[in-house]
Amino acid sequence: METIENGESTVTPIEVAVAELPAKLLTNLPLPQALEDYLRDNPQPAAPCFALVGDLTLDARYGKSALLFYPDCLVAYDSVKRATPEVYPYGGFKEAKVRRMYGNALFLAEREEAGARATLLRFTYAAAEVAEAAAEYVNQVNADGWHPGLLDAVKASYERQRSFCPKCGRKLHSPDAPCINCEGKSKMLKKLSVYVTPHMVMLFVCLALSVIQTSINLVPPKVTGAMVDGVLTPRGRAPLFGLSFLDFNLNQMVLFFAVSILMQWIIGAIRGYFLRIIGDKMIVRLKKDVYSKAQFLPMSFYDKTSTGSVITRINSDTSVLQGFILRMSQEAVTQLFLMLGLVVIMFVDNPKLATFSLAPIPLVVLGSRFFGRKIAPKYRRIWRRGAAIASLLADTIPGTRVIKAFTNESRTINKFENYCDDWLDEDRAVAKVSIAFVHVVGFFVACGSLVIWAVGGREVQHNLANNINGLTVGELVTFISYASMFYGPVNFFATINDSYQNALASVEKVLDILDAEPEHDFGKGDVPDRLDGRIEFQNVNFSFDRSKKVLTNVNLVIEPGDTVGIVGTTGSGKSTLINLLMRYYDDYDGEIFVDGKNLKEIDMQYYRGQIGYVQQEPLMFRDTVFNNIAYGAGKVHVEQVLSAAEVANAHGFIARLPDAYDTMLGERGTGLSGGERQRVSIARAVLKNPSLLILDEATAAVDSETEHLIQEAIERLIRGRTTLMIAHRLSTLRKANKIIVVDKGEIIEFGSPQELMERKGKYYKLVKIQTMAEEAESQRQAEKF
Amino acid sequence: MALRYIDGQEARISENDGIFVDLEFFGEEEILRGLEPRRLFPISGLDRFVTLLDSEGAEKAIVRDISRLMPESREILEKSLREYYMIPRIKRFIKMNDSFQIWMWTVETDRGEFTFEIRNHVVSIKMLYDGRVLIMDANDNRYEIPDINALDQRSQRMLLPNL
Repeated sequence: METIENGESTVTPIEVAVAELPAKLLTNLPLPQALEDYLRDNPQPAAPCFALVGDLTLDARYGKSALLFYPDCLVAYDSVKRATPEVYPYGGFKEAKVRRMYGNALFLAEREEAGARATLLRFTYAAAEVAEAAAEYVNQVNADGWHPGLLDAVKASYERQRSFCPKCGRKLHSPDAPCINCEGKSKMLKKLSVYVTPHMVMLFVCLALSVIQTSINLVPPKVTGAMVDGVLTPRGRAPLFGLSFLDFNLNQMVLFFAVSILMQWIIGAIRGYFLRIIGDKMIVRLKKDVYSKAQFLPMSFYDKTSTGSVITRINSDTSVLQGFILRMSQEAVTQLFLMLGLVVIMFVDNPKLATFSLAPIPLVVLGSRFFGRKIAPKYRRIWRRGAAIASLLADTIPGTRVIKAFTNESRTINKFENYCDDWLDEDRAVAKVSIAFVHVVGFFVACGSLVIWAVGGREVQHNLANNINGLTVGELVTFISYASMFYGPVNFFATINDSYQNALASVEKVLDILDAEPEHDFGKGDVPDRLDGRIEFQNVNFSFDRSKKVLTNVNLVIEPGDTVGIVGTTGSGKSTLINLLMRYYDDYDGEIFVDGKNLKEIDMQYYRGQIGYVQQEPLMFRDTVFNNIAYGAGKVHVEQVLSAAEVANAHGFIARLPDAYDTMLGERGTGLSGGERQRVSIARAVLKNPSLLILDEATAAVDSETEHLIQEAIERLIRGRTTLMIAHRLSTLRKANKIIVVDKGEIIEFGSPQELMERKGKYYKLVKIQTMAEEAESQRQAEKF
Repeated sequence: MALRYIDGQEARISENDGIFVDLEFFGEEEILRGLEPRRLFPISGLDRFVTLLDSEGAEKAIVRDISRLMPESREILEKSLREYYMIPRIKRFIKMNDSFQIWMWTVETDRGEFTFEIRNHVVSIKMLYDGRVLIMDANDNRYEIPDINALDQRSQRMLLPNL
């Protein structure tokens, strides 16, 4: 180990043209100041190629640390353990590697002596990806010598890290991709306006209707006032609104009253009907949108989100929004109009009394703000409790069989009850605040009218006693009516925050789906004429989350027409290999080529359309057998389905079912045995006539006759197609002309079965074990019969 | 094949290198070298059931309860686990910034101050019944709040709406 001491550089001269190095240092985070100072004080013969900055110190605390990579050595700095940077020539390493632990990782340099290693850097998972690229760089330099090309891989991985949206800083899928988060996004409510605009005309009609309705609403108190002051006095008639041509007697007054009430109800009914239609249309469209978006979300979304919470979002959250949109677009405007109308009328009639009755308003407004702040967080909590219940349902209702088998009913019920009680507790907390608030507001507004009685009543008494022309009994009654009507809008605006917060919690969840990055179809429209099925994996690495690598450095070529058997223990990465080939996951390192074309550049819909996928546990939809076979095939002729079923050896048993092809299957295909379901799923693939076939053989044992039927069906299916099969039975493997042996995410053997048998490796062992097992089985069978 | 448990005094764990340890059963000749201790219950039971894996990932033994080991063995095992598992304990919330719909939390932990991103509070934050809160950031790093009721008022106010 060479050490820099007191600014004396012992870095070996580097024979690299400086021009080949990036002008600006490639780094994942800003360099620690101490290291920059060091670089300034110790000028090096060449600039560093790139830097890896850690966010932890070697003693696992948050802090500054970094590695500077030169063509032939690296400089390590750690604010705790290596405050003076140290130089490590690559020559001293046997291998550089990143060791991922739990929540943190180490950059290690293995020495030549066995077991000796230097720990150079510690960092959180945030830097793990670039660190791996850096380790690979060091190993490449040691293996082949330094050349500028080595930096490309490093640069690519750094760019992946740095492909952030300039506006929001969110990690983008590829460096130049548009940020789905920022695109056209300003406010949540603006997003929802898409659902309102198509109904603008109708909404305006409704609005106009409600304005008329509200205006009519303002009439009755005036009528009451006129009755008290004129009609019910010896004069027997009174002018309405002070207009002489509306000088009515009792009968006319009652008739006028009746007409206005009738108008109110008619308009109300029409408006209610329209609003309901508009609301339903909006909600249906929103539901459709969320559902169709959910179809295009990548698998990684579903890996992390429970089905129950997705269902809640599509179903109930959208309904909350419907209520809210209508409330905002209609009632808010109407109530505002009513409130303004009341204020104007009251002030015109009697400014003094108006001031008294409006006095509690500031209190209400202040209270409303205080209340909003208190209640907002609680709605989020309620939502989470609701989602937990939904998740539990999605989990347990389909799992009824298992629950019954383990007689776990009471425990399941208990859990559900606990979840419900949790929800109840949260809802009770909200109810306390929101109900209390509504009634406090009501109380204050009622107090307003008490003040009017007291103040106005005294004035009326005074006027009557002294025979002064001023506030009359009728005017006071009118005024009191208006004041009590005022309670409506005030209450509405006081609680609007409540429903706004409630809706916002739902908007957030719905937008979470609407805004989530969909699967990227980079090659949309790029449809090749045909798919031959040449598959090539080049240096493919993959991990679901950053904590564990599932596939490491996968390289393989499959020629068109090959039948490839994939073998390996469970968890070895077989299914992941298939998942990548199906393009369920995009964020792998390295490249996958199909017919020489990058997989990501082929139209996704077309590509998946060319793949026949026979699953291990085939999923049956709640539909007829016929539709289950025809699933995904578009329009097909009945006879095509029949012959597909025949090829799959399924026709026989289907014909024997009482309802034959019209048999309804339940979820998960209840009503069919495992072997039958497999054959239906094979028939599905036959009908699709794919160029590329992926077969995940079921592990479940079936009787030998069924196995024979399935085997036969598979043989017919794979004829003439590139086939990848995860195989468990030797009989299936015998059909393969190439075998891939996967172990711990790596391909350890790849070649024809003969080659692998001769190599006497893992495949050889596997075949030996299987043969023994099969012999024992056939012996047993022979004894039975 | 039966699992092999270590109850306490029958084996010695000694230091190897970094997180790795050596294991010696008394009365047996072979010393198992370079084993990696891992918690079988990293979330629910920190000191119980620690497995010892060899370089191939094959289990060599399970320690039933760390506290029953001999003091030196226990110390070495705990040190190794401390190295491997980094779950900072959050002591205080300093800032929660959610501009541009990106949620950045700045917290004070037992390992210093740090800022991280939470991608989705529905799946990233889990509250357990005993008041413990587990948090996972956008990079899959883990954090823990040992007892939410022990946080100061301000931190609680910041966190509670998200539970």
